Amino acid sequence: MSQTIWTRTLTWFDGVRRSVCRVGWPATDKDRAAAMISSLFLHIHPARVSRHVLKPTYTFALGLISAILFVVLSVTGLALMFYYVPYPAEAYRSMKDLQFVVTFGIVLRNIHRWSAHAMVGVVFLHMCRVFWTGSYKRPREFNWVVGVLLLLLTLGLSFTGYLLPWDQLAFWAITVGTNIAAYAPVVGDQVKFLLLGGHVIGATTLLRFYVLHCVMLPLAMLLLISLHVWRVRKDGLSGAENHASPTEELAGVFPASTKTYGLMAISKRPQASVEARDPNDEVFAWPHLLYRELLIALAVIVVLHVVSLVFMAPLEEMADPTRTPNPAKAPWYFLGLQELVSYSALVGGVVVPTLLALALLILPYLDRGTSGSGRWFAPERRIANTIFTAVAAAFVGLIVIGTFFRGPNWAWVWPWK
Amino acid sequence: MTNDRVPPSGLPDPVRRSLFALGGLGLGAATVGFLAATFRFLVPNVLYEPSRRFAVGPASDFPPGSGTFLPDRRLYVFNSADGFYAISSVCTHLGCNVKHIGRGFECPCHGSQFDENGQVVHGPAPKALAWYALSLSPRAQLVVDLDQPVSPEFRLRA
Ligand code: HEM
Ligand code: FES
Repeated sequence: MSQTIWTRTLTWFDGVRRSVCRVGWPATDKDRAAAMISSLFLHIHPARVSRHVLKPTYTFALGLISAILFVVLSVTGLALMFYYVPYPAEAYRSMKDLQFVVTFGIVLRNIHRWSAHAMVGVVFLHMCRVFWTGSYKRPREFNWVVGVLLLLLTLGLSFTGYLLPWDQLAFWAITVGTNIAAYAPVVGDQVKFLLLGGHVIGATTLLRFYVLHCVMLPLAMLLLISLHVWRVRKDGLSGAENHASPTEELAGVFPASTKTYGLMAISKRPQASVEARDPNDEVFAWPHLLYRELLIALAVIVVLHVVSLVFMAPLEEMADPTRTPNPAKAPWYFLGLQELVSYSALVGGVVVPTLLALALLILPYLDRGTSGSGRWFAPERRIANTIFTAVAAAFVGLIVIGTFFRGPNWAWVWPWK
Repeated sequence: MTNDRVPPSGLPDPVRRSLFALGGLGLGAATVGFLAATFRFLVPNVLYEPSRRFAVGPASDFPPGSGTFLPDRRLYVFNSADGFYAISSVCTHLGCNVKHIGRGFECPCHGSQFDENGQVVHGPAPKALAWYALSLSPRAQLVVDLDQPVSPEFRLRA
């Protein structure tokens, strides 16, 4: 009797579990491959990947780390929202509370702040990787464009977030930043008015930046990251065709003649990623790719925690519109532009950034040849790589100057003095 | 070339097509209208900001020959031999507060320099500091109007 109740209970729970997962824990390669395709969260991976994808020195996992940082930022940001009040003096007080009153508040704030800085750097490096490996070439042109939009969104998120603590650093960085926007021809003043919700930075501005930072931009980011990663999945990672090194692992599971299976078999479009490749060069995404990804996520989270326990996110005095700190600096990733702006606001604030953004957006449609794609620093791409590297280095150089070599009155200083 | 398929609506094809076109057009117009309305919605009608026209105190608070910085208003008020005038302390470059140094002004942010009339002497600032109209209220208060920029010839005789 009790035996039956026990079995029935177990069957009932098993029914619930099956309604969620449909299959049991996959124990074989074939089951795991099936899981990769049928699970919403796993199916952003292919079932099998080229060995080349796993080589850490090809992507340096920079795109993956960008995505991990976005998740970390979303989670910590949501937590911070439980305490943050988007109204001028209250905003500053809630930052102080997070720092000194709320248990673990300071750690969460530090993680959020440092991840945001890291994300700007990592996304930039990811773009450099994609350029230097010529990975924006056909068929990936449009995904590069999506990538550029993601870079702009990353900057927009960092910039809107910068105002929220409502301290001196925040207030004057946004003052300088929004005044740069006002230099745009024709619409500049209106753009600034719309951004601030008035003539001066005040309560309306803070609320606007808050909504942009916490809702609009993250949603746009989520949408575009999904599109971006989905396209990577469809196109396959660049460069796989350059590397053929047969492995035996798949031979037992899939007959050599079968090159497509599962969803791939019913896809109408010829899948370059599936059919052009030799299946013998491939390994299963689970465990090979999945475990590497989890390991990298773990490493990123550990590093973020260590950094956030050691280094405190800055919080200066409360914003004071009557007192300009000397010098007043924008966030570091805009200091290259601020350095240019210190010569000419129009050139540095409008012309150069607009031209850079446009150049990046149309780049894959100008540089159309496909040779040298999928390899680091291919000799065929020497000219393109040289130009890109020079521009990137100039930009980084200007940021270094703006950050370390500019003191009061934007006069030249030596950082070691 | 006969089309003997009878559409469920019973309407002839050309009519259906133009109905579709009409519907599409309507949807497009509604979307554009909605976007325009949203955009307009984001432009505030009422600003909860300090008034753009305000009194800065009795004229007697500003003795002849003085230059006074009013940090809350981001404004300098001068009383010269030929009358009162007000110059903005907001740097025309990127909005930092300029300092009154010697006879001119200097900006801490990117080193712009202005002469005693606020004209650019040096640096990235693209134009002169703003001058604003001053008037006297019936109770002898100096009143500044930020919506009324004036030229550096402006003087208010008290
Ligand atoms: C929020 C920012 C971004 C995220 C989360 C992201 C994520 C990813 C991921 C996960 C990959 C797979 C390969 C890898 O890990 O490197 C990838 C590839 C790619 N990304 Fe991004 N990315 C971002 C920004 C950008 C930017 C700024 C660009 C270029 C302007 C870009 C262009 C590309 C291209 C063209 C590929 C395909 C590369 C290939 O097949 O080798 N992405 N991205
Ligand atoms: S804000 Fe005054 S010089 Fe830049």
